Amino acid sequence: MAAVVEMSNVTKTYGEGSSIVKALDGVDIRIKKGEFVAIVGASGSGKSTMMNLIGCLDRPTKGVVKVAGEDLSELNDKKLTSLRNYAIGFVFQSFFLLPKTDALDNVATPLFYRGVPAKEARFRAMEMLTKLGMEDRYSHQSTELSGGQQQRVAIARALVTEPSLILADEPTGALDSKTGKQVMDLFADLNDEGKTIVLITHDLDVAKRATRRITLKDGKVINDERDKK
Amino acid sequence: MNILIAARLAFARIIATKTRSGLTMLGIIIGVMALIALVSVAQGATSGIQDQFKGLGARNLTITGTTNQSITVDDVIEIAREPGVDIVSETVSGRATISSNQASTRAQVIGVDSDYITVVDPDIFVGSFLPNVENTKDARLIVLSSSLASDLELDAYSINSTIAVGSTEFTVVGILDDADGFGSQGSAYIPLDTAFKYVAVPPYLSSITVQTINEEIVPEVTANLTSLLKARHNISGEREADFVIVDASQLLDAIGTVQQFLSLLLGGIASISLVVGGIGIMNIMLVSVRERTREIGIRRAIGAQQSQILTQFLIEAIVLSLVGGIIGVIIGEIVAYFLAQLGQWNFALSPTMILASLGFSMFIGVVFGVWPARTASKLKPVEALRFE
Repeated sequence: MAAVVEMSNVTKTYGEGSSIVKALDGVDIRIKKGEFVAIVGASGSGKSTMMNLIGCLDRPTKGVVKVAGEDLSELNDKKLTSLRNYAIGFVFQSFFLLPKTDALDNVATPLFYRGVPAKEARFRAMEMLTKLGMEDRYSHQSTELSGGQQQRVAIARALVTEPSLILADEPTGALDSKTGKQVMDLFADLNDEGKTIVLITHDLDVAKRATRRITLKDGKVINDERDKK
Repeated sequence: MNILIAARLAFARIIATKTRSGLTMLGIIIGVMALIALVSVAQGATSGIQDQFKGLGARNLTITGTTNQSITVDDVIEIAREPGVDIVSETVSGRATISSNQASTRAQVIGVDSDYITVVDPDIFVGSFLPNVENTKDARLIVLSSSLASDLELDAYSINSTIAVGSTEFTVVGILDDADGFGSQGSAYIPLDTAFKYVAVPPYLSSITVQTINEEIVPEVTANLTSLLKARHNISGEREADFVIVDASQLLDAIGTVQQFLSLLLGGIASISLVVGGIGIMNIMLVSVRERTREIGIRRAIGAQQSQILTQFLIEAIVLSLVGGIIGVIIGEIVAYFLAQLGQWNFALSPTMILASLGFSMFIGVVFGVWPARTASKLKPVEALRFE
């Protein structure tokens, strides 16, 4: 099966000269379509850098990162932005919904940026909210929604573009354990439907819900295990 | 992103941050208000004067001597023979002490011929202008301007009463309405020949008013009369003429120039406050970009191009300045209306002026919005997302 994410000998450094910091050091991984991967590591292990690279927000210092077949180092800002819009569905720890914007337009915004006409974009956004059981909250702003509801809207926003992968950064970090479990159940269901999911977390209980765990330490992959089917 | 969605977002933000948006717009509101009100003052005040000049008659031209002994009654005879000349009216003037039973003052006494009433058409407050005095050319009749009448403590009942010019007694036949009479304030009018007898020296005139048969030939007649008078006065080559010919169009041109200058001057001053308002918008937009770094990061992450972020912030700046401009136009026109009432000139909405003001405030929004919008669009997504 085709690889959604391909990293070959990837190094990412920050700073210059004596204050140089190696965030990633020779990382090689492939994530295939339909996988449910958790990238696990302590703070400073390089998992945020991983997320920035997989999310097409940054480019590697050395090595090759390919997302949906595109080499990030060969793309200019415009094409990289376009790749994010088409290939990645972001889910953030603090939800990151747009302020002063209702749930419906929050979900529709990635489609607006893609140039989908407003009417069609809102129709598709409504469909996605309905799928996640949020249809009666479509006119609410983020300040009027609970944490779990906000995360559902954020997941709807990630799904509406039909991306190659869902990239979730500590998606349960700001939720209580019950709501967190519901969100993880949702990810499991989405994976069952065939969606590729990459989860960045430091929480091992959360990581257990994935079918594959990649553990990072000091910028290196120290463990890569798959559940046996 | 759709411009409409960006505009809606901008309006939503302005409403959500009412106080701040209001204060930001205040600069533009005051600037546009000042622009509209000041330019309307410049135009209103001068158009009043222009109307008064038009009342003088567009067919008329006035010849004035530069010395007391420049133009004479003989010139009048020659001028009347020129083609295109319809009526010629001559005046002399001198200063004299005028006394009523109650008061006494020095005033300009103007001697006018029987054509003066046709050419100048003065407004009468009470009584009549000098009657046709062909038979009694040296009749001792006098018409007073209303300001002179009040100086002499005379009123509407003083018609046919007697006043003294110097030591000679005159009968008051009329009082003029000064309100829109141009140049007649503080003067008295007596028949031409009477004037030659008591206040002026014949055959010298102070001015000659010529009415042409139509407006179009005024420049041509002016040129002909200039050469005629130069020849008669033996003026040739580079020598300065001893008379000046002025027609209404020249006066109107001069007032037009004054009006333009005033509009530019006052408009320029108002524009400075508009620019200051623009700097206020830039300042707030820069603050706003900083406060919304995270939001910009989210937008960039989910696929907003740099150009789309730029458009969003630019539209926000333009909406701010344009809404400010619209409020400024409304307040400015209201102020202009009350100023017109106060100054007693006509109030007129000028669509050009309104469109120009709105255009200018939009331009200010673009100019001062570009920098903050560029700053927003150049933020790095990774750093913007991490911003607390």
